[in-house]
Amino acid sequence: MAPQYKLTYFDIRGLAETIRYLFKYGEIEFEDVRIKHENWPPLKDSTPFGVLPILEHNGKVVGQSIAIARYLGRKVKLAGENEWENLEIDAVVDTLNDMKSKLSAIFAEKDEAKKKVLIEAVKKDTFSFYLPRLEAIVKKNKGYFALGRLTWADFYFATVSPAYDLVTGEDILASYPNLKSVREKVNALPAIKKWIEVRPKTDF
Amino acid sequence: MMEGACIKRTRKSINIFNTTEEMAPAYKLTYFPVEALAEPIRFLFSYGGIEFEDFRFDRENWPQMKPNMPFGQVPVLEHNGKVAHQSIAMARYAAKKAKLVGNDEWEDLEIDAIVDTVNDLRQKIALYHYEADAAVKESRKEPLFKETLPYYLQRLDAVVKANNGHLALGKLTWADLYFVAILKYLNSMCGGNDILADYPNLTALKNTVLELPAIKTWVEKRPNTDM
Repeated sequence: MAPQYKLTYFDIRGLAETIRYLFKYGEIEFEDVRIKHENWPPLKDSTPFGVLPILEHNGKVVGQSIAIARYLGRKVKLAGENEWENLEIDAVVDTLNDMKSKLSAIFAEKDEAKKKVLIEAVKKDTFSFYLPRLEAIVKKNKGYFALGRLTWADFYFATVSPAYDLVTGEDILASYPNLKSVREKVNALPAIKKWIEVRPKTDF
Repeated sequence: MMEGACIKRTRKSINIFNTTEEMAPAYKLTYFPVEALAEPIRFLFSYGGIEFEDFRFDRENWPQMKPNMPFGQVPVLEHNGKVAHQSIAMARYAAKKAKLVGNDEWEDLEIDAIVDTVNDLRQKIALYHYEADAAVKESRKEPLFKETLPYYLQRLDAVVKANNGHLALGKLTWADLYFVAILKYLNSMCGGNDILADYPNLTALKNTVLELPAIKTWVEKRPNTDM
């Protein structure tokens, strides 16, 4: 029988990796479709809003990586027990997403000199603002991003945080041991450790 | 939650001619004196009949208030001594309280996906509107109005057509209220035009939401602002 879920994205970790982590953690079978960039243009307009990833299930298609991650977070019991707890998880994920979106300009910049300027700006304005606050949240939550326990917010951080180093060429979390430990903890989970060993090796 | 926070709960003044002491509402929403990103939360609390203090601070006080916010931003929501942030997360919370959510995780995902898509559109519009460099801003104008807006609005209009006049699940959900609540903000960022002018299904949805009794009442009573 074909898996009940079909995930379509580019052949990178990117915005789909949290989703893949959650499927693996929950031992939920899924088809991990990776399309090549040159095959994207003809496919684009057949997706709901011209963007990936998309998830197909029971004949329905949805997009939006964080919405899908929240859905799976609930399915694999890594969500809150009530509305306020889920609000706490959602808020920290949205905050991590805000921070990540400030990196996209650097990623797009091809001129090395301009890139250096952007990197210094993001270190000064973005990382130095967000990271101490996030570190404090993790410290307060006994080593997790919310509710004092493992939630899908930790998975989200584990998969997006490598971008900080990739984009800047530096060890951005060097002075944030609590944040680093979240990623290490998630990546050490048996199902995740196994996935990391077998997943396609890509730059992003 | 938020260390070193300095949150004052204001009590409504006690009218000495009134024998009953007024209780502060269970929720206090803090934002700039505009609709924008807080309006979906206001719509949802209003629809759900949930009392909330709609605190709009004076803009000149913002520099002092900013450091006290969890991540230097508003809106924030105070409840039971805790402070929440992130407008969409708070809207989703208010939606659950107002019972405008799905019946299961997949239905909620369908709603979330539409809300995030509307938010993507908002961000693309904001990238144009808030651009400080006039030349860069001008270069973003045509792609926004000729490509991006039609791309999203055509598809959203088609979703509403296929969903019985709504944005998800063929019925009223918080996706509908979210979209209509930020419409004035989107229009103002697009130069004051009605971006829904060419989209009959989205226009009908706007009217549907604005005609809901609780929303109609809220819109009549809320402060009148440009965005």
